Amino acid sequence: MKNVVITGEGIVSAIGCDKASVLKSLLEGRTGIGEMKHLRSSHHELPVGEVDLSNDEMRQMLGIGPEVLISRSSLMGLIAIRQALVDSGELRTESLEFATAIPEAERVILISGTTVGGMDLTEEYFDSFEKSDDHLDCLRIHDCGSSTKQMAEMMGFADCATLSTACSSAANALILGANLIKTGQADVVVAGGTEALTRFHLNGFHALMILDEQPCRPFDEGRAGLNLGEGAAFVVMESEEHARQRGAEIHAWLSGYGNACDAFHQTASSENGEGAYLAMKEALEMAQLSPSQIDYVNAHGTGTPNNDASESAALKRIFEDKMPRVSSTKSFTGHTTSASGSIESVICLLAMQHHFVPANLGWQHQMAEGITPTMGETNCKVEHVMCNSFGFGGNDSSLVFSRSEECGVRSEKCLRQNSSTSEAAKSMTTMIELSRVEITSEDQLSEIREFVKPLEARRMGKIMKSSLLSSLKALKQAGIETPDAIITATSLGCLEFSENLLRQLSENGEQMLSPTWFMQSTHNTIGSNIAIRTHCHGYNVTYTQEKKSLEWALRDAQILLATGKAKTVLVGLHEEVTPFWNSLLRRTENGELRTERYDYPPSDYNIYSTAMVLTCGK
Amino acid sequence: MEELIIELKEKIIEALNLEEMTPEEIEDDAPLFGEGLGLDSIDALELIVLLEKNYGIKLANPAEGKAIFKSVATIADYVSKNRKK
Repeated sequence: MKNVVITGEGIVSAIGCDKASVLKSLLEGRTGIGEMKHLRSSHHELPVGEVDLSNDEMRQMLGIGPEVLISRSSLMGLIAIRQALVDSGELRTESLEFATAIPEAERVILISGTTVGGMDLTEEYFDSFEKSDDHLDCLRIHDCGSSTKQMAEMMGFADCATLSTACSSAANALILGANLIKTGQADVVVAGGTEALTRFHLNGFHALMILDEQPCRPFDEGRAGLNLGEGAAFVVMESEEHARQRGAEIHAWLSGYGNACDAFHQTASSENGEGAYLAMKEALEMAQLSPSQIDYVNAHGTGTPNNDASESAALKRIFEDKMPRVSSTKSFTGHTTSASGSIESVICLLAMQHHFVPANLGWQHQMAEGITPTMGETNCKVEHVMCNSFGFGGNDSSLVFSRSEECGVRSEKCLRQNSSTSEAAKSMTTMIELSRVEITSEDQLSEIREFVKPLEARRMGKIMKSSLLSSLKALKQAGIETPDAIITATSLGCLEFSENLLRQLSENGEQMLSPTWFMQSTHNTIGSNIAIRTHCHGYNVTYTQEKKSLEWALRDAQILLATGKAKTVLVGLHEEVTPFWNSLLRRTENGELRTERYDYPPSDYNIYSTAMVLTCGK
Repeated sequence: MEELIIELKEKIIEALNLEEMTPEEIEDDAPLFGEGLGLDSIDALELIVLLEKNYGIKLANPAEGKAIFKSVATIADYVSKNRKK
């Protein structure tokens, strides 16, 4: 099995739009959180961590003309991807020569984490959809998978995948990248995440009442919520062997990673931080490091009362009385949601390269039962760092980066012991389907009563019901109560509730929005709902890549089964549409967009679910 | 007060999607959260929206809701004292 190394990084954030300026801000303790400038929202009382570039400025930097329809997320993403490729010496030219940027000989895959996708354009033009066809084109890049594909096509990547697990999306993109490299399915992967601020999620978080009107104060007794931020960061990942062959400078090893599910609540973390604990434990085990070897933890640390209490509990369970330096750099960048995993990974890599630990700004008062964050240090040894990213629904991931070769050698040794792992990975054709259940009609959804009390099902939209029902039935048929892992595929996600929220925004303005609709607008709410019901704390991710969503989910299931990480995997493809969405698609070039981009649901269905329980041959 | 209580029950059933319940089934003093009706933190947020939309009452901090949302009777009491519409 191959060691995974990082050879290039790119970052666009509120504290700088390249590595050098981000480093400077971190060392100077200068936050990027302030009054809104670019997002057109009425909520100026809410401080945000905005990237200080207009879309036009970014277009200019990238050489993208006004005739190209592109979202803010993709613009930021392209800048960060280009930086990462230049940094690693993988990009042919400094200027973005679209489609030829990447040497042809490489099988380079782009993996991006995002939840917002092209929502900034959709919310801008939503009102016009009813009346005119002028802006219907933006539906082409509305969903997360399409927005990643647009970036991939512009840059000439061989393939692309999108992970959408809310605030841990980018961390999971790095995990997929590492798994593809380790199993020899890719030579080079560019992985990370991008997320622009939108009115949609600013108001959604506001409806959940977790935004602070002051600059956030992670881990402080008086913390009162988070500040949203935006940005993008991508890293170039490759096998150590590949990097050495081409003479690339190795910046760090991704020595360990873990993905677990809290399986507790759609928007709250458990008191003892079970999911976070399991993710950190797995990451340390893979890196073969003892907790005392970790020099710095970049915490998820959102600044909400719930997250910081839960994460403190989990950190204490892992590190006990040997707590390393911990800080949340969300006090600099704001919470960049789907991009946070990669933005904070790049910050960790900078800390290792420049021997410092970034401060936890805004902290003043020790919180009861909480960890005590660092106020920053320079000239210190930073050999191994941990980077935590936790998402709604308890999609928790933790990454461990190491600066020295020592850990590379160590993991090679460990992998030699597990040589069956790579053998298994080579012959990845032995998936066996234990059961499969399909749902194609809303009439079938009433069967959910057999499994879930009406009180518990009352908030679920139709995709939540069909995904849960098909999954529970498939598990029952397979004779399994709790699968080892849950992988969800959806090209469009929770379309109905997203549309409800857009309609509410358009009719009521930015006030009194339904928290339920927002909570069930993220793609990963589907998989985490199933995890909660089946008490599954194992690996849990969501793929959204147009027609290829299920293909990626199955590919990941195969990796899990082949590498022995799971013996049973629940994989599901879940889709819903709404009458309004269908009417819009019909108006776009005679419905061509639909057949081109999405397989399911077939055009006469409003709902489609297929759930299957997979296992490996042994 | 009696009228307000019935009105609140209807609005709660609608806002929280308690489709299978009738106003008569919710007792005035029965606890809404935890042991009682079994509502959770998201329901509390929906109730905050309900108060603002229907009665012009703005709660800045979800923690304030705890005492107010104990039962339909406590909500009715709070609404009657603080309503702006």
